[in-house]
Amino acid sequence: MEASHSVTATITAVINGRAETFETVGLESLMDALRNRLHLNGTKEGCREGECGACTVLLDGKPINACTYIARAAEGREIETIEGLNDDLSTRIKQAIVENSGVQCGYCTPGIIVMLSALLRRIAAPDEALIREALSGNICRCTGYAQIVDAALDVIHGKAPPS
Amino acid sequence: MSHIGSAAIRSDAWSKVTGETVYTYDYKEVGMLYGYLLRSRVAAGKLVRLDLGTARTMPGVRAVICAADVPETLAGWSMLDTPLFARDRVRYIGEPIAAIAADSLAEAHAAAETIELDIEPSAPVLDLEAACRADSPLVHPDWQDYVPADGSDFPRHGNVAAECSADPGGIDAIFDTAPLVVEDEFTSQRQYQAYLEPKSAVATYRDRRFIIHTGHQFPFNVRARVAQFMAVAPTAVRVIGHPIGGGFGGKLDYSVEPHAAALSKASGGKPVKVANHRVEDLISANCRENTIVKMRSALDKDGNILARDVDAYMDNGAYTGEMSYMASFPFHIGAINYRVGKFRARGRLVYTNTPPTGAMRGVSGPAMYAALENHMDHIAAELGADRRDYRLRHLFVNGDTLPNGQVLDNAEILKQGFDEIEKIVPWQSKPKSTKPYTGRGIGAAIWLVNPLPGSLSMKLEEDGTVSVNTAATDNGSGALAAGIPQIIAETLGIRPEQVRISDPDTDSAAWDGGSQGGRTTQTVGLAAIEGAKQVRAKALETAARLLQVEADTLTIEDGGICLAGESKSRMTLSEVAIAATFGGEPIQGSGGAALPAVPFNPGCANGLLFPYFSSPTYHVHYAEVEVNPVSGNIHVTRYVVAQDVGRVINSACISGQIQGAVAQSIGFSLYESMRFAEDGNIIESNLQFYRLPLAVDVPRVEYVVMEQENTEGPYGAKGSGEAPVLLPPAVIASAVADAIGKPIRKIPVTPEDVLELLNDKT
Repeated sequence: MEASHSVTATITAVINGRAETFETVGLESLMDALRNRLHLNGTKEGCREGECGACTVLLDGKPINACTYIARAAEGREIETIEGLNDDLSTRIKQAIVENSGVQCGYCTPGIIVMLSALLRRIAAPDEALIREALSGNICRCTGYAQIVDAALDVIHGKAPPS
Repeated sequence: MSHIGSAAIRSDAWSKVTGETVYTYDYKEVGMLYGYLLRSRVAAGKLVRLDLGTARTMPGVRAVICAADVPETLAGWSMLDTPLFARDRVRYIGEPIAAIAADSLAEAHAAAETIELDIEPSAPVLDLEAACRADSPLVHPDWQDYVPADGSDFPRHGNVAAECSADPGGIDAIFDTAPLVVEDEFTSQRQYQAYLEPKSAVATYRDRRFIIHTGHQFPFNVRARVAQFMAVAPTAVRVIGHPIGGGFGGKLDYSVEPHAAALSKASGGKPVKVANHRVEDLISANCRENTIVKMRSALDKDGNILARDVDAYMDNGAYTGEMSYMASFPFHIGAINYRVGKFRARGRLVYTNTPPTGAMRGVSGPAMYAALENHMDHIAAELGADRRDYRLRHLFVNGDTLPNGQVLDNAEILKQGFDEIEKIVPWQSKPKSTKPYTGRGIGAAIWLVNPLPGSLSMKLEEDGTVSVNTAATDNGSGALAAGIPQIIAETLGIRPEQVRISDPDTDSAAWDGGSQGGRTTQTVGLAAIEGAKQVRAKALETAARLLQVEADTLTIEDGGICLAGESKSRMTLSEVAIAATFGGEPIQGSGGAALPAVPFNPGCANGLLFPYFSSPTYHVHYAEVEVNPVSGNIHVTRYVVAQDVGRVINSACISGQIQGAVAQSIGFSLYESMRFAEDGNIIESNLQFYRLPLAVDVPRVEYVVMEQENTEGPYGAKGSGEAPVLLPPAVIASAVADAIGKPIRKIPVTPEDVLELLNDKT
């Protein structure tokens, strides 16, 4: 629910490497701010309650559900959304997801790529159990996860060529 | 190089991984208003007062509407029984009562809170069996006045919205004298499709037409539904499709499109977006129906099934949608896979004061197969027979018939399926784990392909690529993003990535039956071959004129025109297209297809609205589980599928369909509990409590595709997206029963169920 009768605040945060300044109202979520004020629609809305992970973004490098994070708390912090994940690792993850057919409807895909980027930045070679654990906050209703896990394993084992 | 059977990469993959794809949930228009639906919080009652006066004066509000503001008409896919807004009574929690369009969603919410509403509540009808008794209150007291959408009526009465029944006579006498009678009752809950993108639409009323943007599986169906609700001709509605953030049957009928359309008209033609939040989406979703299936078999002393009697109840919810057709499935599946002497069946679709149910992947199949296969386990146990051996002894062979009399020419694929599973995991050897509380299950299914027609048209572009226009949709399967481009590329002699398919638009594309019943790759694929052949023939004729040779001496290889037997290209398709276009005859092609009607016995049943299984397919599944006897948790440790696919078009997409459908159906089997409280509220009404399967919950599915010729599909393909959803409840329930030594008679099997059974020492 959007808060309408609350005070506005002006927030400055580093979003995808750029200092961005935007208005936010009351308890507006970071997800709503990203989507509606900064037009970063790759952060998907799936549940607004922190269950599905479609809105996963990185806050100072750590994955969070943007739907349950208050936008004004982002003041002075660094946020990475799917649109900003263009480093070599994230690009290899995207490439591997594409080549393993780890995408069907695609609605969960940005959140999954953000989550996998966070995992593989922190741990270079997690095993399948750890990959599945890391993805357990990201619901995919299409794929059954197998081809997403395969993609992650390909990145770890260097099978996905850098683009 | 053949493109058939490859793992060609889907055309939409990169825009999806980069987050560029614009779904309807993301879509906005200039000057757009935000719509919100006020929904009933009472399951049943009379609407005695509705005052919108204050809401209309609230800041930012542009329109507030209710039943009095829209045509007084009833709409529906199969039965005209549904009002756009509750008129004089409410029939379920979540039913729309009024709608608001405002400059912002916050202002629409604020206005909704000022709406004054009095509902005189009555006891909701919730129990399927009680609803069928003569003393039950009626969900629709006016049911007799309702008109079926296609005009021809079918058996229905009171709260029974549709009934399909078959009785050959003499059944009771067989049961009275049979040496053994085995009887079971199996219940299943609802399953929410739980597509990740909640339902949404943007509608504009302009030039006396409704323009609807929606990520919909079946654009022509939503066109028809909006036209019904708005009381206009179907062509006064234009539906423009967007990428679909998952559907699974949930986006085959209307949802918020007609409400957005009515709000746009009421606000003077401004675009209006209505987008469900997740909880709104869940409580109003047209879920897979909950069921009660009673199944009895009469057996002779050798274990042959002399007679079968099936009595099934299926929850229709408050309005019918397409569910009338589903009442046929207890008849079809009650005596399938295994030979049965005489068969009596009754399927009743029952109105209740709950959200309308609807299609979900493999309509009605999972619960019916769970009932059938666990009943087969029970029979085998009574006979002291091995579950697999007993099945194989009674398994359909070529020439056996479905209950409707339809002859199955390829039923031996079932045996092949059991053999394929046996190669991977031999039944006689112990399961991999020898721990206690482990179990295994095996079962079979026969399924169909939705026979509705489909079409497309295409043009050869001046660069030698092909652009396709169709109202068919890709709900994520890859049917349009990979399969159809491969089929066109193969037929024409180009590469799949040289084929582009535009989003559907009902103004420009011909009618198509939507993404349902595994039909797109098969039926639209047939249309694609026809269209591509026309393009190919015209291209070769043009090239023949330019090269001054006979057209039948030419062929197309990877976009180049070659003389037969030569590999060097004489000219490119691009040059051919330019010559044709500037000669005034641009190269275009089009095709249409529908699956042929299947001979069946029309006297086999009453009310058989869904008469036969088009392009039948055959499947065998196997599961192993571990049960934790302390927590009651069930873990699926191994899952094996043998699937009839005709021919594989895209190997990666087939894998995705099998892995994804099995995961979805493991959810239905174990996690996705959806129960109703006595007041008609859904207990598990958000994604915290309605628990979807996660990456840690589902195994990597092992599968074998069984390929053979199919003359009814493109390059031999059969629809493959639905069937893998059919059997997980059957074989997982069977495996859990095997693990704990107690029969399972409900879906989902929750930890509470397991503990209750383990603690029951009777």
